[in-house]
Amino acid sequence: MVLCGASIIGFTVSVLLDVVTRTIGHPWLWLQQVTTGFFAYGVFVGMAAATRRNDHLYLTEITRRLSGGMRTAFEMFARLVVLAVAVAMVWFGYKNFLLDLGSFRMPSMIPLGVYTISVPASGVLIGLFALEQLANGWRRGFEGPEDRDAFMVTPE
Amino acid sequence: MSNGLILGLMALLFLGLGYLGVPVAFALMAGVLAATALTPVSFPSIIGQMFHGIDSEALLAVPFFLLVGELMTSAEITQRMIVLSQTLVGHFRGGLAQVITLFSMFFAGISGSSTADVAVLSRTIAHDMDREGYDRAFTAALIASASTMANLIPPSIMAVVYGATGGVSIGGLFLGGVVPGVLIGIGLMIYSHFFGPVGVKRSRATLPEIGSAARRAALPLIIPIIIMGGILTGWFTPTEAGMVAVIYIVAVLIPLLRREHIRKLPGDFVYAGMLYAIPLAAVAGASAFGWMLAYLRGPDVVAGWIAAYAGTSAIKIMFLLAALFVIVGDFVDAVPAIIIFMPIIIRLTELGDINPVHMGVVIVTTLVFGLITPPYGLSLLVASKFVGVDFGRAMRRSLPLYVVFFAAITFTVLFPKVVLWLPKQFLPESVGCFKNPSGTGYLCP
Repeated sequence: MVLCGASIIGFTVSVLLDVVTRTIGHPWLWLQQVTTGFFAYGVFVGMAAATRRNDHLYLTEITRRLSGGMRTAFEMFARLVVLAVAVAMVWFGYKNFLLDLGSFRMPSMIPLGVYTISVPASGVLIGLFALEQLANGWRRGFEGPEDRDAFMVTPE
Repeated sequence: MSNGLILGLMALLFLGLGYLGVPVAFALMAGVLAATALTPVSFPSIIGQMFHGIDSEALLAVPFFLLVGELMTSAEITQRMIVLSQTLVGHFRGGLAQVITLFSMFFAGISGSSTADVAVLSRTIAHDMDREGYDRAFTAALIASASTMANLIPPSIMAVVYGATGGVSIGGLFLGGVVPGVLIGIGLMIYSHFFGPVGVKRSRATLPEIGSAARRAALPLIIPIIIMGGILTGWFTPTEAGMVAVIYIVAVLIPLLRREHIRKLPGDFVYAGMLYAIPLAAVAGASAFGWMLAYLRGPDVVAGWIAAYAGTSAIKIMFLLAALFVIVGDFVDAVPAIIIFMPIIIRLTELGDINPVHMGVVIVTTLVFGLITPPYGLSLLVASKFVGVDFGRAMRRSLPLYVVFFAAITFTVLFPKVVLWLPKQFLPESVGCFKNPSGTGYLCP
């Protein structure tokens, strides 16, 4: 959560500096790359944080009507799907990262891999959080997405 | 396996897993990964699409417009706009219902988030409506319906996503959204006046009272001028305009109007930091899904079906697309829906020789309707939960309000000249006009 806040503050400041430096006639062209970096990291770290807090977008029409063992089974299945996607993000995202180390963003010449590492990093966090939820849910039962505060439903 | 079968499997997996409780972003990715296994496409390139989907400067506007809404709500500055709305329309029949709609129009000019609008209204006016004997189901239905204007009247998050993924002018979409947004607002006010609960009759506010309320709300109401003024004068991109609005709230509004809120600002940023990641995570998944859809030639198939019925008639194409998106919007969130179906929209826009801004406004107007339709009517779900009424009751009470949305969609499709009038006046190049080579002014197709 704190990292998400840091990223939004980071790219707010970098967009502000971008506008200011451009207005005074001395633009720092690399600022746009910094902004994109903060933004991408914010999205993928936020994706992991939202997984832990059950704050993603959901279409839970079927599970919300279930209870007991059936509900537990569906909740476990949902976490296993998340875990599988997280594993794919880690493994294939890492392969992309290695490949992207050879590509560079102009004009700063930052390797593209510096940005795309956010995907496998997010996958690692998502996987850990999914495992945590599976372990906790197995022992104490699952908290469904509809149990959370309504205001945390998607911002749209 | 044929492309059609793979497409069907991918869509079935997404919807099936989604309705079984898998978050939308992961349900999308699970569907795409399963489809990838059946095609020659490599897994790393599909995972790479997640990153490329959000690697767009235009999408940076999304967190800023969310942050604006969050800061205004959290600092309770919106209360001043509610008071202004009360002085302007509180004396009408169904006064508080009218206040909800008018406030939503004001708030829509500040925030691009329907959910923030629902949160503000549910925490404030909904309690007053309860005390005055309004049916809670009506309150929830009206709040949800009025909140949809946040995604039409600029700034709009849906317009940002549409513009960023479809390569359409975001400024043009902002201006084009004004007509359907105001139409929905007027429609809701007319409905509340003639068919809504009577409420408590209030006396008309005096001119000094209106003046005082307007003075107190003046500083917050500068935000739409900053955002649209900056974009229209070419000073800022939509992203930069959102950032300037954030700085204005943090540096001017909160210190002047709610000084005690300053220490809570870090919390607002942290909260907004996660809030923006939620729709953008779905954007990342939907980008991979949309890419695979295009790879499997899904746009050709759907465009073929629609073209078989509509030919190249722009109006028929738009009505069929609107019908498709009314159905899609019932089941899928608007942001991923825009990205998934963008290749199809682009193909049909070309087929019918439709102005891309006009098509974008039609699609966004149709998708905001999905915010109040079951089973996935997000605004209605949130409003019914906040107001404390069963979703089914709120949904039944919102059924008559559907007429307003159908009328707005129909008007938007049938009258492109009205919809595109504002973009043509202020951003002519956004709608395909070009500078007159022989002098001043623009030539428009």
